[in-house]
Amino acid sequence: MFSIGELFGWLTNPENWTGRYGLANLFLEHLALTLVTLAMAGLVAIPIGIAIGHSGRGETLVIAISSASRAIPTMGLMFALVMLMGVEFREFAVALALISIAIPPILAGAYAGIKSIPIVIREGARAQGMTPWQQIRHVGLPLSASSMVGGFKIAYLQVVSTVVLAPLVGLGGLGFGVIQGLALRDFAQLKGSALIIVLLSILGERILTRAQTRLDRRLTHSSEDR
Amino acid sequence: MKKTIKSTIALSAIAILGLAGCAESNGDPLVIGSQAYYSNEIVAEVYAQVLEDAGYSVDRQFALGQRDVYVPALLAGEVDLFPEYTGNLLQYFDPSATATAEEEVYRALQAALPAGLTALTLSGASDQDSFNVTSDFAMKNNLTSIADLAGVSGIRLGGAPELAERPYGPTGLLSSYGVTVEFEATGDTTVESLVAGLIDMANVYSADPRIQQLGLVTLTDPEGLFLSSNLVPIASDAVDSKARDLISAVSSAMTAADLVALNVRSVDEQLSSSVIARDWLVSKGLVG
Repeated sequence: MFSIGELFGWLTNPENWTGRYGLANLFLEHLALTLVTLAMAGLVAIPIGIAIGHSGRGETLVIAISSASRAIPTMGLMFALVMLMGVEFREFAVALALISIAIPPILAGAYAGIKSIPIVIREGARAQGMTPWQQIRHVGLPLSASSMVGGFKIAYLQVVSTVVLAPLVGLGGLGFGVIQGLALRDFAQLKGSALIIVLLSILGERILTRAQTRLDRRLTHSSEDR
Repeated sequence: MKKTIKSTIALSAIAILGLAGCAESNGDPLVIGSQAYYSNEIVAEVYAQVLEDAGYSVDRQFALGQRDVYVPALLAGEVDLFPEYTGNLLQYFDPSATATAEEEVYRALQAALPAGLTALTLSGASDQDSFNVTSDFAMKNNLTSIADLAGVSGIRLGGAPELAERPYGPTGLLSSYGVTVEFEATGDTTVESLVAGLIDMANVYSADPRIQQLGLVTLTDPEGLFLSSNLVPIASDAVDSKARDLISAVSSAMTAADLVALNVRSVDEQLSSSVIARDWLVSKGLVG
């Protein structure tokens, strides 16, 4: 019923890479939807996370949001939003659903990053006469950057795998090949598309992990320099 | 001691014989399955109630998913009776089948079914793919048949992702009718997309209540592009001839309008399939 050769043959057939629903276009759609969602979620979650971590106020909010997010049925939310906003605005509806699952991990990452800075360092920055903005810019952000990237990493993995559902409401992305392949019993297409989704997840995860290690290393190096 | 062993063996033998006897005389419940599709489940419930009314015990195994899941169960004898659709089931067993007309498809299906499965009486009710347009679009372009689309350019056809590759999809439209369309995978939002004007033509199942509710126009298919897909009960050898007659009677009593009406009751009135099935059977005089 299925062989590696068949999968390889499907993946290397140029016909499967071109056109409106070809792999190249679906891949770009998938990546674009994922990155736009993460950027929007970051714009909302990072400032809030920093503010909460810095001021120590609203900490219960972070806990509540990140635990509530585990209970959100993403597919249901996506359908509900598409029906509510109308199919004309399905791009926005899907993005909104994805943003709502991306916010909690990013928020938690930003909050935890700021919160984990030792109190002596934070107080030291204040004692030097830094304004709150300077404290965040020169102390908070560099010290919590790695934790923030960690938040993005979790969000990336969740979003990249949830975008697979987008073709159910008429959008593109690599889920198209999974859904079409299943319906047509074309298992080479199904597994080929699934393989690319998996590779995309792993690749993104590796890149963000490497960024995290770099940030950590830079921090230790710069402190050794002094 | 010896005596007890003997009597135990005797008792076991009686028990085993008794059980075997039961299996032959309908002691085992007949397992009725259905797809994970509300309309199919209502029909399965109709079968279940008519058999129960005749004294059979039935085991409802509904919402078994799609063919990939339940056909192996039917073949393995885990499910005995299943409401199916001739065309789609034929395509499952014989993807290269060319029949599209109602009777032809039914005969081809009977030939294609593996040993142990039988297609009972064909129902007049069908639930098959159809191309639909809004009444405005139909009026503006003077459409009643798919053939009328030949003069219209830039038609956007919406449907599930797999429609792109189906024989009745864009390729079939071009070869049978000379109609060129641009395909949009609208997934589960196909009807909404049609109403919102994101697409011009939508692939909708013919028994979908929304065709009536939204006043959509189903284009006729003179060239037989679509595979006919009538309701048909599929029975395993475990279903005896009396039960087969009962189910066949139900199948021939169900008209196309009946099936739509059953679906409407489910979608509009949100009634359970057991109530809908019961009311229909009573109205047809099929249960006492």
